[in-house]
Amino acid sequence: MKTTVSDELKMLEEMAGDFAAKELLEDREENDKYPFGPLFEGVLTKAHDVGFFSIMLPEEMGGAADAVNAVCLVLDEVCRADASLGGIIFTNARAQEMVARAGEVEVLKKIAANAAGYAGLLIAFPSFNNPGEIENVAMVERSKDKYILSGDIEYVVLGGIADSALLPAKVKGEEGYSLFLVNLKGDGLDIGEPVLSLGLHSCPAVDMSLSDVEGKLVGQEGKGGDYFEAAVDRLSVAAAAMAAGVIKGSFVEALDYTKERVQGGREIVNWSEVRMLLSSMAVKGKVADILVDRASRSVDCGEPGWQLDSRAAALHVQEMAADATTDGIQLLGGNGYMKDYGQEKRFRDAKQIQALMGLTPMRKLKYIKRIVDGELPW
Amino acid sequence: MFMDSEPRFEDITCGLESTARAPGAMITETREAIALARRFNEAVVRPYALELDRHMQEDPNYLPWDFVKEANRWGLYTLFIPKIFGGKGVNLPALSYFLEELASACTAMSNLVGVHYLGVATLTASWNIRLMNRLMRDTAEGERTGNPCLISLAITEPGAGTDVEDVELVSRAKVSCQAEKVDGGYVVNGSKIFISNGHLSTWHALICYEDLERPHETTVMLAVKTGDKGFSFGRQENKMGQKGCPASELIFEDCFVPDENVCFDRYYIERFTRASRKNKRSVEDYTMQVIDYVLSASRAGVAAFGAGVARGAYEEALEFAQETEVEGKLLINHEWAQCLLAEMYTNVSLSRLSYSETNYANGLYGMFKVLQWKPFFYYLKYVPSSIIDRFIAPLLDMDFVTWLFRKLYFDWQKDEEYQRTSGWASLAKFTSTDYGVRNSQLALEMMGRAGMRHDGRAEKHLRDSKLLQIYEGTNQLNRQNLFKCLIGRTIPAARMFEE
Repeated sequence: MKTTVSDELKMLEEMAGDFAAKELLEDREENDKYPFGPLFEGVLTKAHDVGFFSIMLPEEMGGAADAVNAVCLVLDEVCRADASLGGIIFTNARAQEMVARAGEVEVLKKIAANAAGYAGLLIAFPSFNNPGEIENVAMVERSKDKYILSGDIEYVVLGGIADSALLPAKVKGEEGYSLFLVNLKGDGLDIGEPVLSLGLHSCPAVDMSLSDVEGKLVGQEGKGGDYFEAAVDRLSVAAAAMAAGVIKGSFVEALDYTKERVQGGREIVNWSEVRMLLSSMAVKGKVADILVDRASRSVDCGEPGWQLDSRAAALHVQEMAADATTDGIQLLGGNGYMKDYGQEKRFRDAKQIQALMGLTPMRKLKYIKRIVDGELPW
Repeated sequence: MFMDSEPRFEDITCGLESTARAPGAMITETREAIALARRFNEAVVRPYALELDRHMQEDPNYLPWDFVKEANRWGLYTLFIPKIFGGKGVNLPALSYFLEELASACTAMSNLVGVHYLGVATLTASWNIRLMNRLMRDTAEGERTGNPCLISLAITEPGAGTDVEDVELVSRAKVSCQAEKVDGGYVVNGSKIFISNGHLSTWHALICYEDLERPHETTVMLAVKTGDKGFSFGRQENKMGQKGCPASELIFEDCFVPDENVCFDRYYIERFTRASRKNKRSVEDYTMQVIDYVLSASRAGVAAFGAGVARGAYEEALEFAQETEVEGKLLINHEWAQCLLAEMYTNVSLSRLSYSETNYANGLYGMFKVLQWKPFFYYLKYVPSSIIDRFIAPLLDMDFVTWLFRKLYFDWQKDEEYQRTSGWASLAKFTSTDYGVRNSQLALEMMGRAGMRHDGRAEKHLRDSKLLQIYEGTNQLNRQNLFKCLIGRTIPAARMFEE
């Protein structure tokens, strides 16, 4: 990103860039065949080894000091090459963040301490839905000091990979939902096949049914929505970072191609309408870069209004990515539409990234509601 | 004099002009065509669309013969072929409505039907009546015997995509598919890529060039048949969307094509123009005219795909909004959702209007002109096929008939007439396909997670829609063509492709 301040973050950024170049680029097309091909488990192991799944954890567990800025740097670099890994990092970070917002840092420490590999560390979560908008929660019954969950939950991201999941559930008749940690290796769970989706193929989601599954309450009863929104405040900008990475990756591939491809007797980069498209993409990439950098530091520093900084960055950069990646295909013509190049995947991934955290129009309404209710717009 | 100023009266009143001249029976025919498309959607397209798309993601080399055979059984490949050529003779503007219907359920399947008519249109644009009659009757025979006989258009090359869409550009293109003139025909070498329905078609209208250094002056259109010696299929592309419709590589290695399968070449045009007393046009001009005839019809078809996919996305969003509660209230009762649905409905309607207007232009000035001339239209409509086959079909083999049609379509079409059809076709093409992508994006924003899932149907529309902005000329090339045809034509200082 434009201004990576500390040496530590600079190193992390470089490391993520190297990782993307070495581990993600070459097999991108192959890895994207999932669920019709194997999952890129080797990549997940290496990502775990270099700490991509620990950034939001407490520092003593491998977390970063400026955690949001750090996770944004990593997501930006990774998503330039393959946003699927970004989706996994993001979903896990979201789940970890909600547990932390619920005041259960000890739970995170325990998970991290006991995790042998990536599956033990990762926490699955239905990261494309806001249960406060479209209610898709399990039902919970209290039995002595235990919570027993039953019901169907759709589209639990990482549900087929992680050992545990953070799931929303509510007591019948009560307002609000609670969050529960569930052991996915335990009894009473019917975990479906990976759901074939538009994008982020290697960041799979599954539908699951729970019948009498014990869950561990995270935070307080009925407060799930609060933890959810608090995590959205902090990590919206991370979704923006994913989208920013996708724009940058798409731009670079488009620029390279237009310098090579000849039509009308010259390299197409030399036609002015092609340059207009390139320029539009480059500006989007630049704006995204500045925005994510600034907003993520605002979040880490707790600047006044950091919550809206983060949310605005997400809404804007996610939308830009959906548009920029359309042009990214267009500049490659028919080739851009084929799996031999990276552009069609970025187009799909960008739209999928825009769907993170719930319906885009509802996120816009929530954004303006906070201003109407008194938060400062800038 | 005021009527000559821009925009010209004729440019903005195609619909009005056409309403007065077109046969009224076209309305009934169109209604019946739409009804048939809806029946076909219910019976064949909707139950199979997701399954085929998923199957193609798993196995990109699969060929959807089952669907093609079913469409053939339903008679869709002759539905819009004129009765004099053995078809059912439904009017050609109705094809656009038909394709919109199919595309609203599955754009790939709409292509599996519609691209065949792109092949038909290409063949038609050469006005080689004898050859048109032979190939289209093959399609009719294929329908009778249950062996689908589709026609494809093979024009795109690895090094030339946009370039083959305009004579001016092709003059500088790196083309590689060469047709060498030999005794009794041509010998073809080279390859074509991204050919929709290639693997599934029996006949291919192949565009190639006699002199690779002067492709604009030496364009040759040949009819090549699957199985011909020296002609084979290469890879099938692995596309993002429209996965059910194969994009094929066609490979030619010393493939001999006899004279009887030459649709047109410069020798014919030279003979033809020598005989014309009022000869104003060069070989290049005629070649561009042929390309414009094809594109003016085919781009209306692509616009119909665009309207269809825009409608499909809208319909998925509408259904979702009716059955999903957001914050305890049905989405359909959120004001913002109502406005979004209104915008999507508008995008569909504007797309449809744009292809309709293009078809009005095609009926007045372009490919459909003769077929929509009332006496001819009603003659073909009400005279039984058996009579036509017996008394008219044999005439089609005569050189005179081809000459007459070429006179009518090449020489009697004024510059401004083909500019009008071509300009409108480009307008419709980029407008509708931009709306197709736009509506797909809006639907997914409205549906969130539900829109991401393959089994939710909506994400497929987004993947399918994107190709529409690329093929049949990128939307950038189409904007330039609109400029050329409807704006730049009266501006002496305006130059194309010369910045």
